[in-house]
Amino acid sequence: MILGVALAVFGAAVPAFGSPYLMGVVFQVAMWIALAQSWSMLSATTGYLSLGHAVFYGVGAYVCVLLTGTIPFELALLAAAAAAALFAALVGMPVLRVRGPYFVILTYGLSELVRHVVMRIESALGSFGRMIFDVPATEVLLWWMVGLAVLATLGAYAIRHSRFGAGLAAIREDEVAAETVGVPVTRLKLLAFIASAAIPGAVGGLALLRTSYFEPAQAFDPVISFTIVTMALVGGTETVRGPILGAVGFALLSELLWSSLPQLYMIVLGVTLIAFILFVPRGLSGLVGRIGRAG
Amino acid sequence: MDTLLSGQLLFAALVSGSLYALVALGLNLVYGTLRLLNIAHGDLVMIGAYTAFWAISLLAIPPVVSLVIAAALCALLGWAVYAGLFRRMLARPDLAKRVEANSLILFYGISVILQNLAALAFTSTSRGYQYLDTVITWQCVSMTGNRLLSLGVAAAVCFGTLLFLRFHLFGWSLRAVIQRREAAQVVGVNLNRVQMLTICAGFAVAGVAGVLVSMTEQITPFMGFPFTIVAFVVIIIGGLGNIGAGVLAGFCLGLVETYGIALTSPGYRSILIYGLFVGVLLLRPEGIFTKAVRS
Repeated sequence: MILGVALAVFGAAVPAFGSPYLMGVVFQVAMWIALAQSWSMLSATTGYLSLGHAVFYGVGAYVCVLLTGTIPFELALLAAAAAAALFAALVGMPVLRVRGPYFVILTYGLSELVRHVVMRIESALGSFGRMIFDVPATEVLLWWMVGLAVLATLGAYAIRHSRFGAGLAAIREDEVAAETVGVPVTRLKLLAFIASAAIPGAVGGLALLRTSYFEPAQAFDPVISFTIVTMALVGGTETVRGPILGAVGFALLSELLWSSLPQLYMIVLGVTLIAFILFVPRGLSGLVGRIGRAG
Repeated sequence: MDTLLSGQLLFAALVSGSLYALVALGLNLVYGTLRLLNIAHGDLVMIGAYTAFWAISLLAIPPVVSLVIAAALCALLGWAVYAGLFRRMLARPDLAKRVEANSLILFYGISVILQNLAALAFTSTSRGYQYLDTVITWQCVSMTGNRLLSLGVAAAVCFGTLLFLRFHLFGWSLRAVIQRREAAQVVGVNLNRVQMLTICAGFAVAGVAGVLVSMTEQITPFMGFPFTIVAFVVIIIGGLGNIGAGVLAGFCLGLVETYGIALTSPGYRSILIYGLFVGVLLLRPEGIFTKAVRS
């Protein structure tokens, strides 16, 4: 909670006296916080690990690029979030019946399927990437992105501390037992899936407005999904601050490495992920907690 | 219609089908005995392909010899994974539980590391070499020597493995471990030995497939993932852990893919593969995973 508020204050202060570079960094940090927190609404609570959240980001970006110019960008972003949520609602029922490692590869495959379909549609329309003009000012976009990060954090907090979250935790511990004692597992899973899809849709739209360029292979890039999972797992999935820690850490690391050595960045991402799964299951958040208690 | 009935298309279908069967065979062996869905399996194909490329371009070693080198290299990797991860898991049940819950994400991390290490070491430039590319015409079917060799080796390894499983004592114990792990141990099968040799064999088969692929396709650090997806489709259709049906399913997928592309256009290949992948996962009852956990 405190972290969320601190972040909001920090984000609010930046546009006032920050350099364009600093604004870019904060935009990235806020974007990954929003994505990792949204992911945690489904995956940290229920244990259904999604390796396909890029699909919601991509759907949001696609809807936004189609709508920009026809309606104000605020409405386009709302439409992007709604489209991502609607997509989750449509595929959710069958997809959430599949469990464990199969759910992981299914979400991945679904995201890739949509990516290839959109690529096919775009090339059939004869478009090789779309440029958009008249994008809002960077400060405005940054405000929106920080707002989404705060919203996602508050949402993740609210879900964990509600009856809804208790039901999701029951699904994670033992889905069959939860169903037996009367938890409406199917409905809860579907709601969590939709909740975790909406904000990434808006994030995809915002990221599109910032780069002002849409290319399906990039908008649905599976690296996005992998980065979200890594950030959340390394940060720690047991607390709300976990995804924030992971997102801040890796976003800053990517500022250092991505532009010069993208492959090295991906290797660091992979090695850290494996090391944390094997040796630090509670993530950075658990480490910080332990140090806090000791000191 | 004439093209659809031609031997040319059938030959192309058999070549890709035999490769798919071979790649899936390795994945299926590892899944059957270790209950591990190795999402980095395709990257072993990539390693095999690079082995063949460097062997022929630096040392002038023909791919026929590289088959053995790549198999040995990948088998060594298999042994390293077994000794590094699985032995430790046997000793520590809490670690085993964590790895099981996150196995797919864990191996996706390994896959990302392998791909980016290859990109860092060999650059992302796609590479290729020419070997046995003279055209042989037989009964109005034109084929290149390398494709014929690929078909021959892949089919020989697949059917050789099936015969080995059917008639050799070690093959019997391997099948026993796939069917009933505990019961196999009771009747005196050395589970450790079977698991270790199977992971080596499964990885080696992928390396062999990589050498075969390298004779006809471009080699890139990211070439492996499509093979992983194809192998998943094949073993899910054929039944997880069902080795013989998997080989058959591999050939079937080659037929479906080749004729599907002939009827539409090559642009639909990815959509077809991912569509099949999502389709079979959705239609599969969730029982496959519960069964995997119990055994």
